[in-house]
Amino acid sequence: MDLELETTQRDSQTVLTVRGEIDVYTAPRLRQAIVDLVDAGSVNLVIDMDKVDFLDSTGLGVLVEGLKRVRTRGGDLSIVVTQDKIVKIFEITGLNKAFSLHASLDDALGEPVSGG
Amino acid sequence: MTPPGADGGPVPGLELEVPPKPALVRTARHAVAALARLHQAPEDLVEDIKLAVSEACNTAVARAESSQGSATEPLTVIASVSRGRIEIEVFDPNGKVSREVAGSPSEIDTEDLPFDRILALPIVRGLVDEVGITQEDRGSRMRMVVSLAATAEAPSAG
Repeated sequence: MDLELETTQRDSQTVLTVRGEIDVYTAPRLRQAIVDLVDAGSVNLVIDMDKVDFLDSTGLGVLVEGLKRVRTRGGDLSIVVTQDKIVKIFEITGLNKAFSLHASLDDALGEPVSGG
Repeated sequence: MTPPGADGGPVPGLELEVPPKPALVRTARHAVAALARLHQAPEDLVEDIKLAVSEACNTAVARAESSQGSATEPLTVIASVSRGRIEIEVFDPNGKVSREVAGSPSEIDTEDLPFDRILALPIVRGLVDEVGITQEDRGSRMRMVVSLAATAEAPSAG
């Protein structure tokens, strides 16, 4: 499955919904989407990865870049992860401590429930 | 379904050559994942194997991409299952390693694992039971072994 990206606005937060596989081939598209959003002024991002089937170190690197990008502009980046296989990748790299991880989009749009 | 080899017959493996291009890493990981599923590996372990294959290939692809077109020879991915373990080898004809390593990834000095991207290192350390990296005449070979018997608790990234 290729990568599908969809952007929606929820009050002051911008939700980037990602579906498919994030790997060395598709990660540049995710990177560009985040860059475009931040350049357009969307610095409070929620990356919804509920439908992401695969994530590798390249994809993680893009998310870290995105986090730095929004924070340097006074914003923040939250991530929705619901699948154990994706949560595991954040855990073994220690990035669960760097990101605000959420079990649902509603949680991400409200108060953090895990991570941080 | 009877697992291949359970009746004492030959166990099929796979060998594929893929150009060192980002678009083809997916092909390699899904092929190896299919082999693991054929041997009834649990799905969480299949996911670990997919990730390990991708990280091994990513390193080779990044090396080829940085060569500005001079590294075009295909990677060779070999996978086989025996005695409840899947063994995966990724041969990179453009690879060069300064020091050969072998053993449990958690016991190998971080500096000796040749992953360019810092995030790839803890991933591989956390997923595979054995890793070996050797220099050969024509390139480098990464060998990874994962037990299919049960999903072990992921070691710490340390």
